[in-house]
Amino acid sequence: MAENLKEIADEILEKAQLAAAEFHQFNQEQTDRIVEAVFRVGFSNRVKLAKRAQEETGMGIWEHKVIKNVLGTQLVYESIKNEKTVGVISYNSQTGIAEIAQPLGPILAVIPVTNPTSTAMFKILICLKSRNPIIISSHRGASKSCAETVRICYEAALSAGAPEDCIQMITSGSRDFTQMMMAHPKIALILATGGTGLVKAAYSSGNPAIGVGPGNVPVFIDESADIPFAVGNIISSKTFDNGTICASEQAIVMVDAIEKEVRREFERQNCYFLTNEEIKKVEKIAIVPETGSMSAQVVGQSVLTIAKLADINIPEGTKILIAKLDGIGKEFPLSGEVLAPILAFYSAKDYHAAINCCIDLNYLGGIGHSACIYSNNEKRIMEYAELLNAGRVLVNTPSSQGAVGALFNQLPPSLTLGCGTGGKNITTENITAKNLLNIQRVCRRKPNEMFFGFDQSKYYDESLTADEITKEYYKNH
Amino acid sequence: MVTFDYNSTEKIITAVFAGRMDYLAVVELTPILESEPILKNRGAEDRIIFDIAEVDYIASSFIRTCIMYAKQAGTGRFSIINCQPFVKKTFKISGLDEVLNIS
Repeated sequence: MAENLKEIADEILEKAQLAAAEFHQFNQEQTDRIVEAVFRVGFSNRVKLAKRAQEETGMGIWEHKVIKNVLGTQLVYESIKNEKTVGVISYNSQTGIAEIAQPLGPILAVIPVTNPTSTAMFKILICLKSRNPIIISSHRGASKSCAETVRICYEAALSAGAPEDCIQMITSGSRDFTQMMMAHPKIALILATGGTGLVKAAYSSGNPAIGVGPGNVPVFIDESADIPFAVGNIISSKTFDNGTICASEQAIVMVDAIEKEVRREFERQNCYFLTNEEIKKVEKIAIVPETGSMSAQVVGQSVLTIAKLADINIPEGTKILIAKLDGIGKEFPLSGEVLAPILAFYSAKDYHAAINCCIDLNYLGGIGHSACIYSNNEKRIMEYAELLNAGRVLVNTPSSQGAVGALFNQLPPSLTLGCGTGGKNITTENITAKNLLNIQRVCRRKPNEMFFGFDQSKYYDESLTADEITKEYYKNH
Repeated sequence: MVTFDYNSTEKIITAVFAGRMDYLAVVELTPILESEPILKNRGAEDRIIFDIAEVDYIASSFIRTCIMYAKQAGTGRFSIINCQPFVKKTFKISGLDEVLNIS
Protein backbone atom coordinates (compact mmCIF):
# COMPACT_ATOMS: atom_id res chain seq x y z
CA MET A 1 0.00 0.00 0.00
CA ALA A 2 2.74 2.41 1.05
CA GLU A 3 4.74 1.56 -2.07
CA ASN A 4 1.68 2.15 -4.18
CA LEU A 5 1.18 5.55 -2.56
CA LYS A 6 4.82 6.35 -3.15
CA GLU A 7 4.41 5.52 -6.83
CA ILE A 8 1.39 7.81 -7.02
CA ALA A 9 3.32 10.59 -5.29
CA ASP A 10 6.29 10.12 -7.62
CA GLU A 11 4.01 10.26 -10.63
CA ILE A 12 2.27 13.46 -9.48
CA LEU A 13 5.59 15.13 -8.76
CA GLU A 14 7.09 14.01 -12.04
CA LYS A 15 4.22 15.67 -13.88
CA ALA A 16 4.56 18.77 -11.74
CA GLN A 17 8.27 18.88 -12.40
CA LEU A 18 7.68 18.84 -16.15
CA ALA A 19 5.06 21.55 -15.78
CA ALA A 20 7.56 23.60 -13.77
CA ALA A 21 10.19 23.21 -16.47
CA GLU A 22 7.82 24.48 -19.13
CA PHE A 23 6.34 27.21 -16.95
CA HIS A 24 9.81 28.52 -16.16
CA GLN A 25 10.17 29.59 -19.78
CA PHE A 26 6.97 31.66 -19.87
CA ASN A 27 7.20 35.42 -20.10
CA GLN A 28 5.13 37.90 -18.11
CA GLU A 29 2.53 38.29 -20.81
CA GLN A 30 1.92 34.55 -21.16
CA THR A 31 1.75 34.21 -17.40
CA ASP A 32 -0.68 37.08 -16.99
CA ARG A 33 -2.94 35.69 -19.71
CA ILE A 34 -3.26 32.43 -17.78
CA VAL A 35 -3.89 34.20 -14.49
CA GLU A 36 -6.59 36.36 -16.05
CA ALA A 37 -8.31 33.34 -17.59
CA VAL A 38 -8.35 31.52 -14.26
CA PHE A 39 -9.62 34.61 -12.45
CA ARG A 40 -12.44 35.01 -14.98
CA VAL A 41 -13.60 31.42 -14.76
CA GLY A 42 -13.29 31.27 -10.99
CA PHE A 43 -15.17 34.52 -10.61
CA SER A 44 -17.90 33.38 -13.01
CA ASN A 45 -18.41 30.26 -10.94
CA ARG A 46 -18.35 32.02 -7.57
CA VAL A 47 -21.99 31.29 -6.75
CA LYS A 48 -22.06 27.71 -7.97
CA LEU A 49 -18.87 26.83 -6.10
CA ALA A 50 -20.04 28.57 -2.94
CA LYS A 51 -23.26 26.56 -2.94
CA ARG A 52 -21.36 23.33 -3.59
CA ALA A 53 -18.93 23.99 -0.76
CA GLN A 54 -21.76 24.70 1.66
CA GLU A 55 -23.77 21.67 0.56
CA GLU A 56 -20.81 19.32 0.78
CA THR A 57 -19.34 20.50 4.08
CA GLY A 58 -22.55 21.57 5.80
CA MET A 59 -20.59 24.53 7.10
CA GLY A 60 -21.14 28.23 6.78
CA ILE A 61 -23.53 30.28 4.69
CA TRP A 62 -23.36 30.07 0.91
CA GLU A 63 -23.97 33.80 0.36
CA HIS A 64 -20.94 34.52 2.52
CA LYS A 65 -18.92 31.89 0.71
CA VAL A 66 -19.70 33.82 -2.47
CA ILE A 67 -17.97 36.84 -0.93
CA LYS A 68 -15.04 34.65 0.03
CA ASN A 69 -14.87 33.44 -3.57
CA VAL A 70 -14.95 37.07 -4.72
CA LEU A 71 -12.04 37.81 -2.41
CA GLY A 72 -10.17 34.72 -3.60
CA THR A 73 -10.61 35.65 -7.25
CA GLN A 74 -11.51 39.26 -8.11
CA LEU A 75 -9.79 41.02 -5.23
CA VAL A 76 -6.73 38.78 -5.34
CA TYR A 77 -6.51 39.22 -9.10
CA GLU A 78 -6.82 43.01 -8.81
CA SER A 79 -3.98 43.03 -6.30
CA ILE A 80 -1.56 40.91 -8.35
CA LYS A 81 -2.46 41.57 -11.98
CA ASN A 82 0.01 44.41 -12.45
CA GLU A 83 2.78 42.87 -10.36
CA LYS A 84 5.96 41.87 -12.13
CA THR A 85 6.69 38.26 -11.33
CA VAL A 86 8.81 37.20 -14.31
CA GLY A 87 12.39 38.11 -15.11
CA VAL A 88 13.76 41.46 -13.97
CA ILE A 89 11.19 42.89 -11.59
CA SER A 90 13.15 45.89 -10.38
CA TYR A 91 16.37 47.83 -10.89
CA ASN A 92 17.75 50.48 -8.58
CA SER A 93 20.28 52.63 -10.42
CA GLN A 94 21.58 54.09 -7.16
CA THR A 95 22.44 50.78 -5.56
CA GLY A 96 23.07 49.01 -8.86
CA ILE A 97 20.95 46.09 -7.72
CA ALA A 98 18.53 44.39 -10.09
CA GLU A 99 16.02 41.86 -8.84
CA ILE A 100 15.08 38.83 -10.89
CA ALA A 101 12.05 36.73 -10.00
CA GLN A 102 12.39 32.99 -10.33
CA PRO A 103 9.67 30.45 -9.70
CA LEU A 104 10.09 28.00 -6.84
CA GLY A 105 8.86 24.77 -8.40
CA PRO A 106 5.99 22.46 -7.47
CA ILE A 107 3.94 23.81 -4.56
CA LEU A 108 1.79 21.57 -2.40
CA ALA A 109 -1.24 23.56 -1.29
CA VAL A 110 -3.29 22.18 1.58
CA ILE A 111 -6.85 23.45 1.57
CA PRO A 112 -9.03 23.67 4.70
CA VAL A 113 -12.58 22.37 4.93
CA THR A 114 -13.80 25.79 6.06
CA ASN A 115 -12.91 27.61 2.83
CA PRO A 116 -12.45 24.90 0.20
CA THR A 117 -13.26 26.79 -2.98
CA SER A 118 -12.06 30.30 -2.13
CA THR A 119 -8.73 29.16 -0.70
CA ALA A 120 -8.19 26.81 -3.64
CA MET A 121 -8.79 29.57 -6.19
CA PHE A 122 -6.67 32.01 -4.21
CA LYS A 123 -3.75 29.59 -4.04
CA ILE A 124 -4.09 28.63 -7.68
CA LEU A 125 -3.99 32.28 -8.75
CA ILE A 126 -0.92 33.18 -6.70
CA CYS A 127 0.89 30.00 -7.77
CA LEU A 128 0.19 30.58 -11.45
CA LYS A 129 1.17 34.25 -11.16
CA SER A 130 4.54 33.09 -9.83
CA ARG A 131 4.81 30.33 -12.50
CA ASN A 132 4.70 27.54 -9.96
CA PRO A 133 2.77 24.34 -10.61
CA ILE A 134 0.34 23.68 -7.80
CA ILE A 135 -0.78 20.40 -6.29
CA ILE A 136 -3.95 20.80 -4.29
CA SER A 137 -4.53 18.59 -1.29
CA SER A 138 -8.07 19.01 -0.15
CA HIS A 139 -9.65 18.19 3.16
CA ARG A 140 -11.61 14.95 2.84
CA GLY A 141 -14.80 16.69 3.84
CA ALA A 142 -14.58 19.13 0.95
CA SER A 143 -12.96 17.06 -1.78
CA LYS A 144 -15.83 17.28 -4.29
CA SER A 145 -16.25 21.05 -4.27
CA CYS A 146 -12.51 21.46 -4.24
CA ALA A 147 -12.10 19.05 -7.16
CA GLU A 148 -14.70 20.96 -9.13
CA THR A 149 -12.85 24.21 -8.43
CA VAL A 150 -9.59 22.65 -9.57
CA ARG A 151 -11.19 21.24 -12.73
CA ILE A 152 -12.68 24.60 -13.73
CA CYS A 153 -9.46 26.49 -13.08
CA TYR A 154 -7.27 23.91 -14.80
CA GLU A 155 -9.35 23.87 -17.95
CA ALA A 156 -9.25 27.68 -18.12
CA ALA A 157 -5.50 27.69 -17.51
CA LEU A 158 -4.91 25.13 -20.27
CA SER A 159 -7.05 27.05 -22.73
CA ALA A 160 -4.96 30.14 -21.99
CA GLY A 161 -1.80 28.21 -22.84
CA ALA A 162 -0.67 26.97 -19.42
CA PRO A 163 1.60 23.93 -19.21
CA GLU A 164 -0.09 20.58 -18.82
CA ASP A 165 -0.37 19.48 -15.17
CA CYS A 166 0.27 22.99 -13.85
CA ILE A 167 -2.67 22.33 -11.51
CA GLN A 168 -3.17 18.88 -10.02
CA MET A 169 -5.17 17.55 -7.16
CA ILE A 170 -4.49 14.75 -4.74
CA THR A 171 -7.49 12.52 -4.71
CA SER A 172 -6.33 10.02 -2.13
CA GLY A 173 -7.25 12.27 0.77
CA SER A 174 -5.48 10.16 3.38
CA ARG A 175 -3.34 11.84 6.00
CA ASP A 176 -0.45 9.45 5.33
CA PHE A 177 -0.44 10.32 1.68
CA THR A 178 -0.52 14.06 2.35
CA GLN A 179 2.44 13.62 4.69
CA MET A 180 4.26 11.60 2.07
CA MET A 181 3.65 14.36 -0.44
CA MET A 182 4.82 17.00 2.02
CA ALA A 183 8.11 15.19 2.51
CA HIS A 184 8.65 14.45 -1.19
CA PRO A 185 12.05 15.76 -2.34
CA LYS A 186 10.56 17.33 -5.46
CA ILE A 187 8.21 19.60 -3.52
CA ALA A 188 9.59 23.14 -3.51
CA LEU A 189 7.22 24.60 -0.94
CA ILE A 190 4.21 23.62 1.15
CA LEU A 191 1.46 26.18 1.46
CA ALA A 192 -0.46 24.78 4.38
CA THR A 193 -3.63 26.31 5.77
CA GLY A 194 -5.33 24.36 8.50
CA GLY A 195 -5.14 23.12 12.05
CA THR A 196 -2.12 22.93 14.33
CA GLY A 197 -1.40 19.28 13.48
CA LEU A 198 -1.34 19.94 9.77
CA VAL A 199 0.90 22.98 10.07
CA LYS A 200 3.26 21.09 12.36
CA ALA A 201 3.38 18.23 9.85
CA ALA A 202 4.24 20.70 7.09
CA TYR A 203 7.08 22.23 9.08
CA SER A 204 8.38 18.80 10.09
CA SER A 205 8.42 17.52 6.53
CA GLY A 206 11.91 18.73 5.70
CA ASN A 207 10.62 20.93 2.87
CA PRO A 208 10.19 24.70 3.08
CA ALA A 209 6.70 25.57 4.26
CA ILE A 210 4.43 28.51 4.82
CA GLY A 211 1.98 27.16 7.33
CA VAL A 212 -0.85 29.05 8.83
CA GLY A 213 -2.48 27.67 11.89
CA PRO A 214 -5.16 28.67 14.36
CA GLY A 215 -6.00 32.01 15.84
CA ASN A 216 -7.65 33.07 19.07
CA VAL A 217 -8.57 36.64 18.35
CA PRO A 218 -9.15 38.92 21.34
CA VAL A 219 -11.17 42.08 20.81
CA PHE A 220 -10.64 44.95 23.22
CA ILE A 221 -13.46 47.48 23.41
CA ASP A 222 -11.93 50.60 24.88
CA GLU A 223 -13.94 53.13 26.88
CA SER A 224 -13.41 55.63 24.07
CA ALA A 225 -15.02 53.33 21.49
CA ASP A 226 -18.36 53.87 19.81
CA ILE A 227 -20.00 50.87 21.47
CA PRO A 228 -23.00 50.31 19.14
CA PHE A 229 -20.63 50.56 16.16
CA ALA A 230 -18.16 48.12 17.75
CA VAL A 231 -20.84 45.60 18.64
CA GLY A 232 -22.41 45.82 15.17
CA ASN A 233 -19.05 45.20 13.53
CA ILE A 234 -18.22 42.29 15.82
CA ILE A 235 -21.56 40.65 15.06
CA SER A 236 -21.22 41.11 11.30
CA SER A 237 -17.75 39.58 11.50
CA LYS A 238 -18.43 36.68 13.86
CA THR A 239 -21.55 35.66 11.95
CA PHE A 240 -19.80 35.89 8.58
CA ASP A 241 -19.94 32.36 7.14
CA ASN A 242 -20.87 31.28 10.67
CA GLY A 243 -17.45 32.22 12.00
CA THR A 244 -15.31 29.96 9.81
CA ILE A 245 -12.56 32.49 9.14
CA CYS A 246 -9.65 31.87 11.50
CA ALA A 247 -9.34 35.64 12.04
CA SER A 248 -12.85 35.86 13.44
CA GLU A 249 -13.37 37.30 16.91
CA GLN A 250 -13.13 34.80 19.76
CA ALA A 251 -13.38 36.90 22.90
CA ILE A 252 -14.61 40.36 23.80
CA VAL A 253 -12.76 42.20 26.55
CA MET A 254 -13.59 45.49 28.25
CA VAL A 255 -13.30 47.25 31.61
CA ASP A 256 -16.01 46.91 34.24
CA ALA A 257 -17.04 50.56 33.76
CA ILE A 258 -18.54 49.84 30.33
CA GLU A 259 -19.51 46.20 30.77
CA LYS A 260 -23.23 46.86 31.27
CA GLU A 261 -23.39 49.14 28.27
CA VAL A 262 -21.59 46.64 26.03
CA ARG A 263 -23.74 43.80 27.28
CA ARG A 264 -26.95 45.77 26.71
CA GLU A 265 -25.82 46.58 23.19
CA PHE A 266 -25.08 42.94 22.36
CA GLU A 267 -28.50 42.00 23.71
CA ARG A 268 -30.16 44.83 21.78
CA GLN A 269 -28.49 43.51 18.61
CA ASN A 270 -29.87 40.01 19.21
CA CYS A 271 -27.02 38.21 20.92
CA TYR A 272 -27.73 35.83 23.76
CA PHE A 273 -25.79 35.63 27.03
CA LEU A 274 -25.62 32.03 28.20
CA THR A 275 -26.29 31.16 31.83
CA ASN A 276 -23.58 29.25 33.70
CA GLU A 277 -25.55 26.05 33.21
CA GLU A 278 -25.90 26.73 29.48
CA ILE A 279 -22.19 27.51 29.21
CA LYS A 280 -21.47 24.00 30.51
CA LYS A 281 -23.82 22.52 27.93
CA VAL A 282 -22.24 24.47 25.07
CA GLU A 283 -18.75 23.55 26.25
CA LYS A 284 -19.67 19.88 26.08
CA ILE A 285 -20.64 20.02 22.41
CA ALA A 286 -18.19 22.68 21.24
CA ILE A 287 -14.95 21.44 22.73
CA VAL A 288 -13.28 18.03 22.63
CA PRO A 289 -12.35 17.42 26.28
CA GLU A 290 -9.30 15.26 25.52
CA THR A 291 -7.61 17.86 23.34
CA GLY A 292 -9.26 21.09 24.44
CA SER A 293 -9.72 22.01 20.80
CA MET A 294 -12.97 22.82 19.03
CA SER A 295 -15.28 20.05 17.99
CA ALA A 296 -15.88 19.60 14.24
CA GLN A 297 -19.62 19.31 14.84
CA VAL A 298 -19.96 23.03 15.65
CA VAL A 299 -17.55 24.48 13.08
CA GLY A 300 -19.40 26.79 10.73
CA GLN A 301 -22.79 25.89 12.20
CA SER A 302 -25.63 28.30 12.81
CA VAL A 303 -26.58 29.44 16.30
CA LEU A 304 -29.78 27.45 16.00
CA THR A 305 -27.95 24.20 15.22
CA ILE A 306 -25.54 24.78 18.08
CA ALA A 307 -28.40 25.49 20.48
CA LYS A 308 -30.12 22.27 19.41
CA LEU A 309 -26.92 20.27 19.82
CA ALA A 310 -26.42 21.75 23.28
CA ASP A 311 -30.08 21.31 24.18
CA ILE A 312 -30.66 24.91 25.16
CA ASN A 313 -33.49 27.29 24.35
CA ILE A 314 -32.57 30.60 22.83
CA PRO A 315 -34.68 33.53 21.63
CA GLU A 316 -35.67 33.49 17.98
CA GLY A 317 -33.34 35.50 15.78
CA THR A 318 -30.31 35.05 18.06
CA LYS A 319 -27.12 35.85 16.17
CA ILE A 320 -24.36 34.88 18.58
CA LEU A 321 -24.09 32.90 21.82
CA ILE A 322 -22.02 34.71 24.41
CA ALA A 323 -20.35 33.11 27.40
CA LYS A 324 -19.20 35.37 30.20
CA LEU A 325 -16.13 33.64 31.62
CA ASP A 326 -14.05 34.20 34.73
CA GLY A 327 -10.81 32.83 33.41
CA ILE A 328 -8.67 31.71 30.51
CA GLY A 329 -7.22 28.29 29.80
CA LYS A 330 -8.13 24.62 29.91
CA GLU A 331 -10.54 25.08 32.83
CA PHE A 332 -12.50 27.50 30.65
CA PRO A 333 -12.95 25.58 27.38
CA LEU A 334 -14.72 28.41 25.56
CA SER A 335 -11.71 30.69 26.05
CA GLY A 336 -10.02 28.99 23.09
CA GLU A 337 -10.69 29.18 19.37
CA VAL A 338 -14.16 28.11 18.20
CA LEU A 339 -14.97 28.71 14.52
CA ALA A 340 -18.68 29.16 15.15
CA PRO A 341 -20.94 32.00 16.34
CA ILE A 342 -19.88 31.62 19.97
CA LEU A 343 -18.00 34.38 21.79
CA ALA A 344 -16.27 34.53 25.16
CA PHE A 345 -16.87 37.70 27.16
CA TYR A 346 -14.58 39.22 29.78
CA SER A 347 -14.79 42.26 31.97
CA ALA A 348 -11.74 43.48 33.90
CA LYS A 349 -11.35 45.91 36.79
CA ASP A 350 -9.16 48.36 34.86
CA TYR A 351 -7.35 49.00 31.59
CA HIS A 352 -4.20 47.11 32.53
CA ALA A 353 -6.14 44.06 33.68
CA ALA A 354 -8.16 44.13 30.45
CA ILE A 355 -5.03 44.26 28.31
CA ASN A 356 -3.49 41.44 30.35
CA CYS A 357 -6.62 39.43 29.63
CA CYS A 358 -6.17 40.06 25.89
CA ILE A 359 -2.51 38.99 26.13
CA ASP A 360 -3.53 35.74 27.85
CA LEU A 361 -6.15 35.03 25.17
CA ASN A 362 -3.65 35.87 22.45
CA TYR A 363 -1.20 33.33 23.84
CA LEU A 364 -3.85 30.65 24.24
CA GLY A 365 -3.33 29.10 20.83
CA GLY A 366 -3.44 32.23 18.72
CA ILE A 367 0.09 33.60 18.90
CA GLY A 368 0.99 35.73 15.91
CA HIS A 369 -2.40 35.56 14.23
CA SER A 370 -4.72 38.55 14.62
CA ALA A 371 -6.10 40.87 17.29
CA CYS A 372 -8.67 43.59 17.23
CA ILE A 373 -9.35 46.84 19.07
CA TYR A 374 -12.22 49.30 19.05
CA SER A 375 -10.97 52.64 20.33
CA ASN A 376 -10.78 56.30 19.49
CA ASN A 377 -7.70 56.77 21.63
CA GLU A 378 -4.64 56.66 19.36
CA LYS A 379 -2.23 56.10 22.25
CA ARG A 380 -4.15 53.05 23.43
CA ILE A 381 -4.45 51.67 19.90
CA MET A 382 -0.68 51.74 19.44
CA GLU A 383 -0.07 50.45 22.96
CA TYR A 384 -2.41 47.52 22.33
CA ALA A 385 -0.72 46.77 19.02
CA GLU A 386 2.70 46.69 20.64
CA LEU A 387 1.59 44.46 23.50
CA LEU A 388 -0.24 41.84 21.47
CA ASN A 389 1.62 39.22 19.46
CA ALA A 390 -0.40 39.46 16.25
CA GLY A 391 0.51 39.72 12.59
CA ARG A 392 -2.53 41.91 12.06
CA VAL A 393 -4.04 44.27 14.61
CA LEU A 394 -7.39 45.40 13.26
CA VAL A 395 -8.58 48.81 14.40
CA ASN A 396 -12.30 49.61 14.48
CA THR A 397 -12.75 46.87 11.90
CA PRO A 398 -14.51 43.51 11.78
CA SER A 399 -11.60 41.13 12.20
CA SER A 400 -12.77 38.33 9.83
CA GLN A 401 -13.17 40.59 6.85
CA GLY A 402 -10.42 42.94 8.00
CA ALA A 403 -7.60 40.43 8.38
CA VAL A 404 -8.07 38.94 4.91
CA GLY A 405 -7.37 42.36 3.41
CA ALA A 406 -8.69 44.43 0.52
CA LEU A 407 -12.13 45.06 2.02
CA PHE A 408 -11.69 47.24 5.11
CA ASN A 409 -8.03 48.17 4.66
CA GLN A 410 -5.15 48.02 2.23
CA LEU A 411 -3.69 44.70 3.40
CA PRO A 412 -3.08 42.35 0.48
CA PRO A 413 -6.14 40.13 -0.04
CA SER A 414 -5.24 36.67 1.18
CA LEU A 415 -6.73 33.51 2.57
CA THR A 416 -3.42 32.47 4.09
CA LEU A 417 -2.42 34.72 6.95
CA GLY A 418 1.15 34.54 8.22
CA CYS A 419 1.55 34.31 11.99
CA GLY A 420 5.28 34.99 12.39
CA THR A 421 7.58 32.86 14.47
CA GLY A 422 5.04 32.77 17.32
CA GLY A 423 2.85 30.69 15.03
CA LYS A 424 5.94 28.87 13.69
CA ASN A 425 5.73 30.84 10.44
CA ILE A 426 8.53 32.64 8.67
CA THR A 427 6.40 35.73 8.05
CA THR A 428 3.55 37.73 9.54
CA GLU A 429 2.44 38.91 6.10
CA ASN A 430 -0.76 38.16 4.26
CA ILE A 431 0.61 35.58 1.83
CA THR A 432 0.44 36.48 -1.84
CA ALA A 433 2.27 35.83 -5.13
CA LYS A 434 5.46 37.65 -4.10
CA ASN A 435 5.92 35.16 -1.25
CA LEU A 436 6.17 32.37 -3.83
CA LEU A 437 9.20 33.67 -5.69
CA ASN A 438 12.91 33.27 -5.32
CA ILE A 439 14.30 36.74 -5.80
CA GLN A 440 17.81 36.87 -7.20
CA ARG A 441 19.78 40.05 -6.75
CA VAL A 442 22.18 41.06 -9.49
CA CYS A 443 24.68 43.33 -7.85
CA ARG A 444 26.61 45.69 -10.15
CA ARG A 445 30.00 46.84 -9.03
CA LYS A 446 29.47 49.92 -6.82
CA PRO A 447 32.55 49.97 -4.60
CA ASN A 448 32.16 51.30 -1.08
CA GLU A 449 34.33 54.41 -1.38
CA MET A 450 34.53 54.92 2.36
CA PHE A 451 35.96 51.45 2.85
CA PHE A 452 38.40 51.58 -0.04
CA GLY A 453 39.42 55.19 0.65
CA PHE A 454 40.26 54.32 4.24
CA ASP A 455 43.75 53.24 5.17
CA GLN A 456 42.93 49.60 5.91
CA SER A 457 46.24 48.95 7.66
CA LYS A 458 44.63 50.71 10.65
CA TYR A 459 42.34 47.73 11.15
CA TYR A 460 45.42 45.79 12.24
CA ASP A 461 46.45 48.38 14.81
CA GLU A 462 44.93 47.15 18.08
CA SER A 463 45.75 50.41 19.86
CA LEU A 464 43.15 52.31 17.80
CA THR A 465 39.70 52.55 19.34
CA ALA A 466 36.39 52.14 17.50
CA ASP A 467 35.82 55.92 17.77
CA GLU A 468 39.22 56.73 16.27
CA ILE A 469 38.72 54.34 13.38
CA THR A 470 35.16 55.52 12.75
CA LYS A 471 36.29 59.14 12.65
CA GLU A 472 38.99 58.32 10.12
CA TYR A 473 36.60 56.09 8.14
CA TYR A 474 34.11 58.91 7.60
CA LYS A 475 36.73 61.57 6.85
CA ASN A 476 36.40 63.20 3.44
CA HIS A 477 39.32 61.83 1.52
CA MET B 1 12.12 48.62 46.41
CA VAL B 2 10.52 45.63 48.19
CA THR B 3 8.24 45.15 51.18
CA PHE B 4 7.13 41.90 52.76
CA ASP B 5 4.00 40.60 54.35
CA TYR B 6 3.16 37.23 55.86
CA ASN B 7 -0.37 35.92 56.19
CA SER B 8 0.01 33.12 58.75
CA THR B 9 -3.58 31.89 58.32
CA GLU B 10 -3.26 31.45 54.57
CA LYS B 11 0.47 30.72 54.79
CA ILE B 12 1.25 33.22 52.08
CA ILE B 13 4.37 35.34 51.85
CA THR B 14 3.83 38.39 49.69
CA ALA B 15 6.75 40.42 48.41
CA VAL B 16 5.67 43.71 46.87
CA PHE B 17 8.20 45.16 44.44
CA ALA B 18 8.30 48.65 43.03
CA GLY B 19 10.30 50.42 40.34
CA ARG B 20 12.60 49.31 37.61
CA MET B 21 14.02 45.83 38.19
CA ASP B 22 17.18 46.27 36.15
CA TYR B 23 20.53 44.61 36.74
CA LEU B 24 21.68 47.13 39.35
CA ALA B 25 18.38 47.00 41.21
CA VAL B 26 18.61 43.22 41.38
CA VAL B 27 22.19 43.41 42.69
CA GLU B 28 20.84 45.59 45.48
CA LEU B 29 17.75 43.44 45.93
CA THR B 30 19.45 40.06 46.24
CA PRO B 31 20.93 40.50 49.75
CA ILE B 32 17.62 42.01 50.91
CA LEU B 33 15.72 38.93 49.76
CA GLU B 34 18.36 36.57 51.14
CA SER B 35 18.33 38.15 54.57
CA GLU B 36 14.59 38.70 54.86
CA PRO B 37 13.46 36.56 57.82
CA ILE B 38 10.01 35.90 56.37
CA LEU B 39 11.59 34.30 53.32
CA LYS B 40 14.54 32.79 55.11
CA ASN B 41 12.50 31.06 57.80
CA ARG B 42 9.55 30.04 55.67
CA GLY B 43 7.89 26.69 56.14
CA ALA B 44 7.50 23.97 53.53
CA GLU B 45 3.83 24.76 53.09
CA ASP B 46 4.23 28.50 52.64
CA ARG B 47 3.37 29.97 49.27
CA ILE B 48 5.32 32.86 47.80
CA ILE B 49 3.71 35.67 45.83
CA PHE B 50 5.64 38.39 44.05
CA ASP B 51 3.35 41.38 43.53
CA ILE B 52 4.87 43.47 40.75
CA ALA B 53 2.08 45.96 40.12
CA GLU B 54 4.55 48.83 40.49
CA VAL B 55 7.29 47.26 38.37
CA ASP B 56 7.67 48.61 34.86
CA TYR B 57 10.82 46.84 33.69
CA ILE B 58 12.33 43.43 34.43
CA ALA B 59 15.91 42.47 33.64
CA SER B 60 16.87 38.86 33.04
CA SER B 61 18.50 38.81 36.48
CA PHE B 62 15.11 39.57 38.07
CA ILE B 63 13.51 36.75 36.07
CA ARG B 64 16.32 34.48 37.27
CA THR B 65 15.53 35.46 40.85
CA CYS B 66 11.86 34.62 40.25
CA ILE B 67 12.77 31.24 38.78
CA MET B 68 15.01 30.48 41.74
CA TYR B 69 12.21 31.17 44.23
CA ALA B 70 9.72 29.25 42.08
CA LYS B 71 12.01 26.22 42.13
CA GLN B 72 12.61 26.51 45.86
CA ALA B 73 8.91 26.88 46.63
CA GLY B 74 7.92 23.92 44.46
CA THR B 75 5.12 23.39 41.97
CA GLY B 76 2.11 25.60 42.50
CA ARG B 77 3.64 27.41 45.47
CA PHE B 78 4.99 30.42 43.66
CA SER B 79 3.19 33.03 41.61
CA ILE B 80 3.65 36.49 40.22
CA ILE B 81 0.64 38.78 40.32
CA ASN B 82 -0.51 42.17 39.05
CA CYS B 83 1.88 42.45 36.12
CA GLN B 84 1.69 45.56 34.02
CA PRO B 85 0.90 44.61 30.41
CA PHE B 86 4.42 45.33 29.16
CA VAL B 87 5.91 43.12 31.84
CA LYS B 88 3.30 40.42 31.22
CA LYS B 89 4.17 40.44 27.54
CA THR B 90 7.85 40.00 28.46
CA PHE B 91 7.06 36.87 30.49
CA LYS B 92 4.82 35.53 27.69
CA ILE B 93 7.34 36.15 24.93
CA SER B 94 10.08 34.42 26.89
CA GLY B 95 7.74 31.46 27.46
CA LEU B 96 8.21 31.69 31.21
CA ASP B 97 4.62 32.47 32.09
CA GLU B 98 3.76 28.85 32.88
CA VAL B 99 6.87 28.09 34.89
CA LEU B 100 6.33 31.19 36.97
CA ASN B 101 2.54 31.09 37.21
CA ILE B 102 1.91 34.64 36.03
CA SER B 103 -1.42 36.34 36.51
